Amino acid sequence: MSDDRIFDVQNVTLRFGGVVSLNDVSLHQDRGEILAVIGPNGAGKTSLFNSLTGVYQPQEGVITFVGRDGKPISIIGKKPHKVSGAGVARTFQASRMFSALTTFENVKIGAESHRGFGAVGAMVKGPVTRRGERASDAKTVELLDFVGLRAKANTLSASLSYGDRRRLEIARGLATNPQVLLLDEPAAGTNPSEKLGLANLIRKVRDDMGVSILLIEHDMKLVMSLAERLYVLNFGSVIAQGTPAEVRSNPDVIEAYLGSSAEEMEGQT
Amino acid sequence: MMMRFLRMPHVGRFFSSVAVVAIIAVVTGPPGSTATPTAGFTGSFTEKTSFFGLFATARYLEFFVFVLLLFGAWTLWVSRGEQLKAVTSKALGAPRAVAQHKPVKWGLRLLLVVVAIVLPHIVTDPFWQAAMVEQLAIFVLLALGLNVVVGFAGLLDLGFVAFYAIGAYVTAWVTGALPTPAPFGIHLNTFYAIPIAIVIVMIAGVLLGTPTLRLRGDYLAIVTLGFGEIITIFANNLYGITGGSEGTNAIPHFSFHAGFLKYVWGLGPVPYYYLTLLFVVIFILAFSLLEHSRVGRAWTAIREDEVAAESIGINPLKYKVMAFAIGAASAGFAGVITAGQTVFVSPATFTLPVSINILVLVIFGGMGSIAGVVLGALVIQTFSMYLIHTPPAGYQPSDLYIYVGALLVIMMIFRPAGLVPSRRRKREIGMAEAGEGHMDELLTGDTP
Repeated sequence: MSDDRIFDVQNVTLRFGGVVSLNDVSLHQDRGEILAVIGPNGAGKTSLFNSLTGVYQPQEGVITFVGRDGKPISIIGKKPHKVSGAGVARTFQASRMFSALTTFENVKIGAESHRGFGAVGAMVKGPVTRRGERASDAKTVELLDFVGLRAKANTLSASLSYGDRRRLEIARGLATNPQVLLLDEPAAGTNPSEKLGLANLIRKVRDDMGVSILLIEHDMKLVMSLAERLYVLNFGSVIAQGTPAEVRSNPDVIEAYLGSSAEEMEGQT
Repeated sequence: MMMRFLRMPHVGRFFSSVAVVAIIAVVTGPPGSTATPTAGFTGSFTEKTSFFGLFATARYLEFFVFVLLLFGAWTLWVSRGEQLKAVTSKALGAPRAVAQHKPVKWGLRLLLVVVAIVLPHIVTDPFWQAAMVEQLAIFVLLALGLNVVVGFAGLLDLGFVAFYAIGAYVTAWVTGALPTPAPFGIHLNTFYAIPIAIVIVMIAGVLLGTPTLRLRGDYLAIVTLGFGEIITIFANNLYGITGGSEGTNAIPHFSFHAGFLKYVWGLGPVPYYYLTLLFVVIFILAFSLLEHSRVGRAWTAIREDEVAAESIGINPLKYKVMAFAIGAASAGFAGVITAGQTVFVSPATFTLPVSINILVLVIFGGMGSIAGVVLGALVIQTFSMYLIHTPPAGYQPSDLYIYVGALLVIMMIFRPAGLVPSRRRKREIGMAEAGEGHMDELLTGDTP
């Protein structure tokens, strides 16, 4: 099991000036696993995501990602678009869609971003461009079906509900043909029935598409029902890991969630 | 008590109307002189000349008429504006739906091209024939190019004239008109300058873009402003290479020799009009295909949310440099036409106000909308030319930008997305006003 890792994070430290955002973090994810990272506000969860996708460059440590061809690559030092090309897709904590575009266009941008037809082809509308457009359209329709947004294909993405925005972001991420999908608080701002639908969708992404899932979530019910394994971050360090049952009974975790005062947790993100 | 009175909407509107018309009266009024510095101001209201040529009455009478007209129109707009919009959109609904049908759409476009082709036979005034090439067609090309940079990719370029200048100087260079010898000593036909200038200008776009497009918003605007100035200063000071401030006037006209076929574009503007029109159509087709392609969508994605765009595999720098190079191409082409038509190139043609002028055309017409910027360029340039051709009372050449500026301000109040807004841009502006989306980043340079 451990020799089929998709992410291997070793001793990663990320600092912003004097503020240590991630402190000697080590964790790993197996291929096909639904892994969750939990922790109080400011624990460094989103910093971890940003480090895994090339947005932040940690000063120390190694992040290895094993892509489609089984060759390990180092993430640190790579630009976000290169990381996306290697097979890492993500969603954002506050949904970041291209809000003046329709649902369809949003997903299509994802589907075509790694295709090799460019400006000259577009200006003469050559055969390669036409073929690329058709393939992207087909893929977009397929993904909208998969996430259940087909009926809203021509809706402006800004007018979608929170739950649908999450679905859209998932579809857009999946359009890039990822190996792993990073979900940053997918259930934030959604109602209970949307939450249930999202949990089912996330499971379906893994089961039907074989995409590994790495999840940050505050909603404990969702995490416990979805994740197969989880890590707990607090003040930038991993304080516990294991199955949901193990983590729930871990005294350090209970301390982190219930024992520390609100002041201590503020001022860090 | 006084403040409350002034805050009443009708009162505020009335005094604003007075202020606006007073500014118009002073601007269009007689000039003062050193001996009587206030004559310009007092004469603006007392003299018996017309400010718009509508009535031939004393100015103060016209002043009051215009204040009342403006106040009335403004009040009507505030109270009945929504109804008016609803009525017009309802009335336009049916013809718009018809115009959406593909054959009708292409028929209308063909009709426009036909109108453009017969236009020089209808407009025979030599002033307007020359203006159609030098001021309208050329600026349509420039606006189309800047629209790719500002409208599609969302990059504020204040030095766009540099690419226009490079296009013109490259033409002078390859045809052997500059003090510096032409490459390999061969004096090429002006036609060959077109591909060479376009390629060189695109290379210049890449060279300028690669280091500077890492900057955002205001910073990029300042750097491009500097680039535009540098090119003008080079042209001015490198006397032995560019001919300095006098430039050169030895550029050959376009000519065509192939066996029996022989044609020389002479001094008359009409042949140049057709040549430019052909390329305007080509650029419009190419750029609109580009807008609705993968590249156009990638530009929209970057403009709206660069972080999200990167996360799905779009390389922002690559697409921004691409926008710079592609936009520069049409400016470079405009440079070739200008050089070939006027046979003359000098730094005075390529100054900062020209860059600003092109930007005004794009903003006025509607950023990101090809139909918009073409129409915007036609409207503004025709308006400027009209002011030069038949100046109103008291008009000074330096007043031009006051008139154009006023037009732009009125546009921004009533149609902030431009004359023919692009659908995507209109949504973005709507969302920015509602506090959503990331449209503001173009202006503030903030990145989350």
